[in-house]
Amino acid sequence: MTEVLPQFKIVTPDCVEAAIAALAGAPDARACAGGTDIVVALRKGLSETGTLVDLTGIAALRETATGADGGMVIGAGVTLAAIERMPEIGERYPAIARAAAAVAGPTHREVATLGGNLCLDTRCVYYNQSHWWRKSNDFCLKYRGDTCHVAPQGNRCRAAFSGDMAPALMAHGAEIEIAGPDGTRRLPLAEFYHEDGAAHLALNPGEIVVAAHLPPAGGVSDYAKIRVRGAIDFPLAGVAVATEPGSAGTTFRIAVTGTNSKPLLVDFPDALTGESNADAFFAAMQKAVQKAVSPQRTTTIAPHYRRLSVSALTARVARGLVGLAA
Amino acid sequence: MNVQDKDRARDRSGAWENAGRTVGKPMPLVDGVEKVSGRARYTADLAEDALTGRILRSPVSHGRIVRIDTSAAEALKGVVAVVTGADCAMTYGVIPIAMNEYPMARDKVRYRGEPIAAVAALDAETAARALDLIEVEIEELPAYYIAADSRAPDAVLLHDNKAGNIEREVHHTFGDVAEGFREADLVAEDSFDCAEINHAMMEPHAALAEYDPEWERLTLHSVTQVPFYVHLMLARCLEMDSSRVRVVKPYVGGGFGARTETLNFEIIAALLARKVGGKVMMKLSREESFLTHRGRPNTQVKLKIGMTRDGRITATECEAVMSGGAYAGYGIVTILYAGALLHGLYDIPNIKYDGYRVYTNSPPCGAMRGHGTVDVRHAFESLLDRMARQLGLDPFAVRRANLLEAPLFTANGLMVNSYGLPECLDKVEKASGWAERKGKLPKGRGLGMACSHYVSGAAKPVHWTGEPHAVVAMKLDFDGSVTVLTGASDIGQGSTTIVALAAAEVLGIEMGRIRVVTNDSVITPKDNGSYSSRVTFMVGNAAIEAAKAMRAKLVAAAAKKLEVAPEEIECEGETFFVAGSSQSVLPFHDVAIAALAEEGTINVKGTFSTPIEAQGGKHRGGAVGSTMGFSYGAQVVEVSVDEDTGQIAVEKVWVALDCGYAINPLAVEGQIEGSVWMGMGQGLSEETHYIKGLPAHGNLTDYRFPTIAESPPIDVQIVESIDPLGPFGAKEAGEGALSGFPPALVNAVADAVGVDMNALPLTPDRLIEALTKLRRANKNRRAETREAV
Repeated sequence: MTEVLPQFKIVTPDCVEAAIAALAGAPDARACAGGTDIVVALRKGLSETGTLVDLTGIAALRETATGADGGMVIGAGVTLAAIERMPEIGERYPAIARAAAAVAGPTHREVATLGGNLCLDTRCVYYNQSHWWRKSNDFCLKYRGDTCHVAPQGNRCRAAFSGDMAPALMAHGAEIEIAGPDGTRRLPLAEFYHEDGAAHLALNPGEIVVAAHLPPAGGVSDYAKIRVRGAIDFPLAGVAVATEPGSAGTTFRIAVTGTNSKPLLVDFPDALTGESNADAFFAAMQKAVQKAVSPQRTTTIAPHYRRLSVSALTARVARGLVGLAA
Repeated sequence: MNVQDKDRARDRSGAWENAGRTVGKPMPLVDGVEKVSGRARYTADLAEDALTGRILRSPVSHGRIVRIDTSAAEALKGVVAVVTGADCAMTYGVIPIAMNEYPMARDKVRYRGEPIAAVAALDAETAARALDLIEVEIEELPAYYIAADSRAPDAVLLHDNKAGNIEREVHHTFGDVAEGFREADLVAEDSFDCAEINHAMMEPHAALAEYDPEWERLTLHSVTQVPFYVHLMLARCLEMDSSRVRVVKPYVGGGFGARTETLNFEIIAALLARKVGGKVMMKLSREESFLTHRGRPNTQVKLKIGMTRDGRITATECEAVMSGGAYAGYGIVTILYAGALLHGLYDIPNIKYDGYRVYTNSPPCGAMRGHGTVDVRHAFESLLDRMARQLGLDPFAVRRANLLEAPLFTANGLMVNSYGLPECLDKVEKASGWAERKGKLPKGRGLGMACSHYVSGAAKPVHWTGEPHAVVAMKLDFDGSVTVLTGASDIGQGSTTIVALAAAEVLGIEMGRIRVVTNDSVITPKDNGSYSSRVTFMVGNAAIEAAKAMRAKLVAAAAKKLEVAPEEIECEGETFFVAGSSQSVLPFHDVAIAALAEEGTINVKGTFSTPIEAQGGKHRGGAVGSTMGFSYGAQVVEVSVDEDTGQIAVEKVWVALDCGYAINPLAVEGQIEGSVWMGMGQGLSEETHYIKGLPAHGNLTDYRFPTIAESPPIDVQIVESIDPLGPFGAKEAGEGALSGFPPALVNAVADAVGVDMNALPLTPDRLIEALTKLRRANKNRRAETREAV
C-alpha cells in the first residue's frame, strides 16, 4: 500500500517496564521514538504493525548523567538536536556532537533520538522504495523476496547500515544498555550489530535500547561524512576517529559507517610517536580502512568511490586530531 | 537600477511611455503572504468529500497487454469505480501532430510506471487494496533505456509509425560551415553527456475532478501551468463539448515545465469522476510525480567549433541526441530548441545542427526551465573555454570577440532587438574581481564563467489559431475597484503581481485598489499558459493595453467634468487633473462614477499578438526558438574542490541578466537566483537514475537537488537594455540565467584542479574518477619524459 499510512494503534507507556510489556504483548508491535525512520517505512509498506509503542513519554529515556567511572550516560530518548547542543558532549566527545549535527536536516534532529539512530534500519536502493517499485522488481531478500539484487549470488542481505551516531560512540568505546523482559544487559556497542542487512541488530523481541554508556574520554575525536549534499543525505560513508594518548604514543580508534551492513571498528593498533614517519603512518591507516570496508551497490554512487573517499577522509580526520595538516 | 535607466524606460518603451511610478520598484508578490502564512489553498487542500483516486502502474518497461481483469477490484467494498484504457480511446499530447499517448495504456505499455488502470474508492487504503486486486497480464518486449540501444538496427519499435525509434530528426545548416572551418586557426571537437534531470517542484501532482451528471458538465482543479491545454485535452479525451468543461488552477507550488502539458492523471481523474458521477481527488505521491516526469532528457552533444587566433568563431557543428522517453510530449520542440538557440547569443555566421529525438522505455521527457537549450549551451560554453585556454585567450575576451549588434536577424531568422550581453560581461567581470584573481587562486580553488540566453515567449504557439497570444480583461465598477481578469498561470514566478503592477502603473492607482482574478475558465479570458517565459512579455503587454483602454475612458470622463480636452488631463496618485494646474483635482473614485454614468460598469480588454517578423525563419521547424526578444546573461562561479573526496563547494556566484527592464526588481532578483540555483542542481548533483526502467531517484532523498547547505551567496546584477517591444521595455527573467551555471561550474573546476569534465552532474564519484585518471596520465607523462631524457 504505497504511501498510505496504514491503520495501527499507538500506546504511550510512561516507563520502560510498561514499554517492554507493550512490546512483549503484541508480536508485531514496533517501538517508535521520533518516528523519522519507522513512519517513513510504514508509509512505504516496508514494515507492518498493529501497534506502535511510543517511547517519547518515558522521562527516564531522556536523561543524561555522569557515569560511575566519570564517563557519561546518554538516554536513548535524547534527541539528536539536544546532543548536538549539549556543551558537555561537544567538549568531551566532539565526534558524537559532530555526528549528531551531520544527521539529516534540522527538523529531523529535533525529534530524532539517539536510540532511533542506533537502531536505524539498514538502507538499500532496492529496498527503500515504494510497494509498487519493489513488487515490480520481485521484492528482495531483506523483505518479502528471496534475492539480494545487490549481490544475487550471495545468501545474505547487503543493505548498508547508515546511522551517523554509532561510529562516533564506538570510537569512544561506548557500551549500549538494553532493557527487555529478562531484565537489562550491557554490551560493547560494536557487538550490538551483525553483518546482515536483514537482521543487523542484536535486539531480542520485547527489548529496547535505553542508554549509551561512555567511558571518560582520553583524547580528542571527530566525525566526518561522505555525502553528495551538505544536509539531508544519509552517509555514503562516515568515519569517526578518537585518539588514545599513551606512553607508547598516540593510538587511534577508528569506526566507519555506511560501507557495510554494520558499523565497523577498523583494526589499526599502530601508535604514532615522535619518531614515526607521519606520512607512512597515515598511509598505512588509509590502507587499513580500505581493506576493512566493503561498500556494495546499495546506492547510486559507486562503491569504489565510497571506499577511496572514506579512507582518505579517515587519514585527514586523524591528522587533524594530532595537529597535522592534511 | 539608476535614474538614467529609468529615463531610458520612459523614452523607448513601446507599449507605455510613462514607466517608473509603480513599476521598477521592488514589490513583494501580491500573493506572497497568503502562501507563506499557509492560508493559500492548493489543489490537494480541496479534497473534502471527494473519493480517493489511485492509479495502477505498469510493472514492466515494454510489453503487450494481454489481459486486464478488474472484477475483484470492482467487487471490493468501498470501491466505487474502476477505469482502464478501454474507457478512453482518444490520444492526447501537447503538439497537435504528435499526440501519441493514451491516458491509460491500451494495447501496449512503454515504460515502468505508465498508467494501466485507476480506481475511485471511499478511502486511500481501500483504493490501494483495490490496485493490488487488479490482474494484469503483459507479454514483455525488449526494452531500451538509452538512445543508442533504441536506435540499434534490430530494435523493436516503440511506436509502429516511427522507424528507428526516432521521433524527430532535425538537420539545419545556415551559412557555409566547411568554409567557416577552413578560415579557423583552431578547430576543436568534444563530446558531452548531460544526465536526465527532473523539475522536482515542491508540490506533488494533484487534480480534483467533479462531474455533474445532471448538466453533464465537468470541473477540474489541477496543479497545471497550462489550464487552456488541459481544457482542450479533457474535451478531446472525454469526447465532451468544450463548453461543458471548466478548468480552474488554484495556487500552484512550482512547475518549472513539469506541468506545461496535459498530464495523464488529470484526464484519469476526470474519467473516474464521470464514471462515479461525482468528485474524485487524485493526489500523486512524490514517486508518482517523478514517474509522470516531463523533465530534461539525457542529451549527448557532439560539438565542433572553429576559431581564429583572436577568438572569433568561424563555424559550429553540433549533434544532439536525446533519450526522450516513451511518448512524444514536447519532444519535437525540445530537439528543435537545442539547435535553434545555437543562434542568438553570439555572432556565428555558419552553423550546422543535427538533432535526434529518440524514443526510450522510460517516463516521457518534456519541457524544463531553459527548455531544450541548456545541455547544448553547456557543451558550447565548456568547449569555448577550452579553446580560449589553447589559444591563450581570456574567456571574457573570447565572448567579447563574438558579440552581436542589435537590431538584427540571426542566420536562422531569429529577431534580436535588444542585446545587453556586453554590459552583463562587464558587470560580472568587475564584481568577481576576475582580472585580478583569475589564475592566482590557490590550488583547489577556481573561477569559471559562461554566458546564456533565453526566449521571452514563443512567437508561435503550439495551437496556432490566429487569435491573439494573450487577452486581459479589466472591469471598473461602482465601488471604484479595478478587477483584472487573466488566464495567466501564476506558478510562483509572480505573474499575478506583474499584471497588477502594469494596471497600477498605467492607471496611476494604488495596488490595493486592484484585484487580479486568475485561471478559472468560466471567468477569465483564455491564456496559453506559463511556459517559454511568455507571460511577462505577452500578458504584461495585454495588461498595459487593457489599462490604457480603461484610462482613456476615465480621462474622457475627467475631461468632461473639468471642461477641458482629454489631452490636457493627467492621472497620477489616484487623481485626475489638468496638466500644469494645481486646482481642479478629481479623486479617482469620482471620475470612475462619472465614467460609469456614461455606460455603466466598464469592461475593457487588451490583447497581445506577436509581430510577424518575430515568428522565425521559413525553414521547417523555424518557428521554434522564435521570440520577440532574448534575455542575456553572464555569470562567474567560484569553487573549491576537495581532491580527497571529490566534493565541490560553490563559494560564490556573480550573475548579471539583461531582462530588458525590471518591472519588479525584487521578483527579477528572485528569478535569477532561482535560475542559478536550478542550474547549480543540474551541474552539481541532480540526475535521474533508473534500474532497468525503475526510478531509483523517486524521492527527495535520492533525487539530490541542492539544499540550503550548498547554496552559495549569489551576487545578482540587473541589466536593462529596454526592449522596444517589451512591456515597459521588459523581457524574460526566469530562465535565461540557468544554462550559464553548469558550464561556468565545469570551467571553474578545470581552473581549480585541471580536469575537463564532460559529463553532468559533477558528482564526487565522477570527479574522483577523473582526478585519478589525470594523476595516472601525469605519472605516465613524467615517466615518458624521463625515458626520453
